[in-house]
Amino acid sequence: MEQLLTLIIFLPLIAAVAGAAVRASAALLRLLALGAALGSLGLSIFGAVHFDPEGGMQFVHIAPWIQSYGITYYVGVDALSGVVLLLVSLLMPLLYLYMWHEKRYGYWYNMMALHTGVMGAVLSLDLVLFYLFWEAMLLPVFIMIGRYGNTNHQYNAMKIVVMTIFGSMAMLLSMLYLGYTFFVTHGFWSFAYSDIAALTSGAEGATLAAAGFLLAFAIKIPLPLFHTWMAPAYGSSPTPAVVILSSIMAKLGVYGIWRFGFGLFEPTLQHYQTLLIAVALFGMIFYAIHAIMENNLRRMFAFSSGSHLSLILLGLLLENLYAWGGSLYLIATHALASAGVFIMIGLIFRRVRSISVDALGGIAAQAPKFAFFFSFFALAIVGLPGTGGFVAELLIIIGAFKYGVATGVLTATTMMAAITFVFWMLQRTLYGASNATTSGFKDLSAMELLIVVPLMILLLLTGVAPSLFTPYAAPGIEMLLHSAGGL
Amino acid sequence: MLYDLLLILPMAFIVIGAIVLMLLSHAPRLNVLNRNAITIVILALSLGFELVHYTVNPATFAFASLFGKTFIIDRFSTLFDIMFLGGAMLTLLINHNYFKSRDYYDGNFFALLLFGVFGMMVLAHANELLSAFIALESASLSIYALVGYNNANPKSPEAMMKYIVLGSITGVFFILGVALIYGETGSTLIGDVYRHIAAHPEMPHTLVIVGGFFIMVPILFKIGAVPFHSWVVDVYHGAPMPVTMFMASTFKIALFAIALRLYLIDFEPINALWSQLLQLIAAMTLIGGAFLALIQTNIKRMLAGSSIVHAGYLMIALSSVGMGGEYAAPAIMFYLISYFISSVGAFGVLSFLSSKEHRSLTFDDFRGFGFSHPYLAVMMSIFMLSLAGFPSTIGFLGKFYIFISAIEAGQIGIAALGVFTAFVSIFYYFRLIAVMYFYKSEATKQEFTLDTTTLLIALMALMSVWGGIGTGLIPFVAGADGLIDIAREAIGSLK
Repeated sequence: MEQLLTLIIFLPLIAAVAGAAVRASAALLRLLALGAALGSLGLSIFGAVHFDPEGGMQFVHIAPWIQSYGITYYVGVDALSGVVLLLVSLLMPLLYLYMWHEKRYGYWYNMMALHTGVMGAVLSLDLVLFYLFWEAMLLPVFIMIGRYGNTNHQYNAMKIVVMTIFGSMAMLLSMLYLGYTFFVTHGFWSFAYSDIAALTSGAEGATLAAAGFLLAFAIKIPLPLFHTWMAPAYGSSPTPAVVILSSIMAKLGVYGIWRFGFGLFEPTLQHYQTLLIAVALFGMIFYAIHAIMENNLRRMFAFSSGSHLSLILLGLLLENLYAWGGSLYLIATHALASAGVFIMIGLIFRRVRSISVDALGGIAAQAPKFAFFFSFFALAIVGLPGTGGFVAELLIIIGAFKYGVATGVLTATTMMAAITFVFWMLQRTLYGASNATTSGFKDLSAMELLIVVPLMILLLLTGVAPSLFTPYAAPGIEMLLHSAGGL
Repeated sequence: MLYDLLLILPMAFIVIGAIVLMLLSHAPRLNVLNRNAITIVILALSLGFELVHYTVNPATFAFASLFGKTFIIDRFSTLFDIMFLGGAMLTLLINHNYFKSRDYYDGNFFALLLFGVFGMMVLAHANELLSAFIALESASLSIYALVGYNNANPKSPEAMMKYIVLGSITGVFFILGVALIYGETGSTLIGDVYRHIAAHPEMPHTLVIVGGFFIMVPILFKIGAVPFHSWVVDVYHGAPMPVTMFMASTFKIALFAIALRLYLIDFEPINALWSQLLQLIAAMTLIGGAFLALIQTNIKRMLAGSSIVHAGYLMIALSSVGMGGEYAAPAIMFYLISYFISSVGAFGVLSFLSSKEHRSLTFDDFRGFGFSHPYLAVMMSIFMLSLAGFPSTIGFLGKFYIFISAIEAGQIGIAALGVFTAFVSIFYYFRLIAVMYFYKSEATKQEFTLDTTTLLIALMALMSVWGGIGTGLIPFVAGADGLIDIAREAIGSLK
């Protein structure tokens, strides 16, 4: 049981190393990748079955790493990271199916390395270990955008790396400072999350240390003003990378604020709560306006993703049970829906080599199944009743009203404004008469259905029967809230 | 007496080997590869004895009846010797292909290299300032000559002139510093200066402080700290590849051998006085080096610029020595090893490539390198990541130790500047990775051939990664933190 999380993290990397060692052909490599992903999924489900909702941090494994500074290999899972873990495990096999016919080796190796990096970042509970995975997951994205991307991809790859690392370096400095503060107060070194969290966080310099962490997460999410890498990177990424960027890595930014922001700096965040809520609300509407104006589908949904991440962040900042439940739910459902949308956009690109809204139109008449799924995912992103997104957004709105009527009204109206772009986009891409580009648009094949149907089932299941999932997450969220000092 | 001979045996091997190689320098039967092999065997023999010394740890003065306390044999100096010998051996082995492709390497080259190693070893063992000066100058003289070795390339003698003129001027400061220190303390033995300062806490020690800084001038010059850096890029560029590699990695270690000994023993009571000055130099070095590295288009020059930045990180740690943290000095040794591994690897790749093409390599030459040489490209990427301090490589741990020891010393400002410079350096290191992978290559895919050079490059890449993530759980294999413990033990032997 101790080794469960370690296996989940490293299975893809082991598969990649094995593939490289035997100089595997593309056919073998994809089997290895899928096998590792399915193995990881199986282990995650096994872990979920044995997960005790009341048990706090579980499957903890601690091994010494850099002993002179008390740095350990420290992994564990609770309700919060459990949700993200399951999400990643579910999405990865689908992504491997999406790229099934990919012949370029580098693609597969990078995806497997990315898989390990993301898993590690979710599960690690030692600050330095977290930093290691947090940085390590950037490298495959850098290579994938730069090597397999399109339209000015070299420049955009450099941009995402430089901006993201700027944030991470600030986080590193904060981490070092926290570790040192711990050393001064306790007389021995530790970078373990639980130890650092026990430090009195009202200490001198806590605001600056919190700022370091928040900068890293704000760039990763990204919040407005830190977002200039986002649209170009999404626009020039290949589809699997863009799915990971939007569904997983951006969520990890929010996860980071949740785990490390609220875990370590709750009083500081409390102090700046109003300001941060204003930023989140501004982000929702700011990105929504960008999304409406955008013509490139990937960039459009990049902005939409930014808008929803601001919403998740808003839920977090409200710091009550409804909003936190809603945020966690939205992390999961938005990831599923945006994975669906970006895969559909990828399929459009495969078929007609264009994803600009102007060039498309009339797809519904040519490919009804495709149109159905595309509109389903696009609407699921904005919270179509009956999908999980609706439940999540409802919970956040309730939480916002609980926080204050003004915030509630603002949240609800901003959310309304934020969804308008979808309808206009669907109208222009799917309906109307088909043109030269879209005539002969092929409908979904059986293989492609295999990728999108599980996503749809999960979205419907989370939407129709949230009571299936709440017992697992609710006690954990209450515990987190309690330890963060909120209500 | 016989025991003393055993103590100096490693150095004796080197100097005798150097003389033999010099005498054989015109023997027609020996080609460059034979000479290379002989040199490596000599170094390996010496290394073997040093390893024995390290385990036995005699901790004594050699020929005490003759030289008094001039020549010390302790863990600290032995560990440095091991690093020099290992460094020289790796430099020679990794350049195996390069030697084959150039015709100007004769016996003198290898003799000079061994004389250089000899000078460095004596420097590490010197417990007296004048002997340290002689050792430093004899090592430097060999390096001066080596820099100008390729007289077919006009850049090489030019680099030598630049280096020798500036190097000799700064070398004079060392002597002046020793004279000033002698003027106040009446001794040049390293321990005596410490005792004098400790015994007279009421005196201002002006001469010792000024003299100490004069002693630092040639050291700062040779590690390339700003404002003594103007030679670095040109000399690294002009020197033959193996010499650049040797200077960047091994020679730099030697300078820290004497700097650390001085800092940890002689000037230990007055460290705090210099800390701010060193911080200022560190800040200038970091910023100046980063700018120099950013504007280069030639890979060798970029690595030269970046070596200035790495000197800046070392200066951060040096300014933190004795200011609170117990790991500042071991951090320097760890960083030197980590920089050694990654830079020898990176220069090794350059040397491997220039053994085929007789010109210096620019960023554009690496276009599509990921396609034409997939394996070498992966290794080069690892070295770049390690130099950039990307986590999961040994370079990250090196920077980690340095930054945290600066924070321990209460110098958060300089640590923050270091972190910021590490961020800036991302750009020029990632640029090479980007160039290698993001562009298609016109060249066809080259088969990966396993020979001495490529094997060693692979070994260095493996060490870079293992040094960053290695666990201590595997028996008999040192984990990521094994090296810092060795370094700490060696530093502990000074006290």
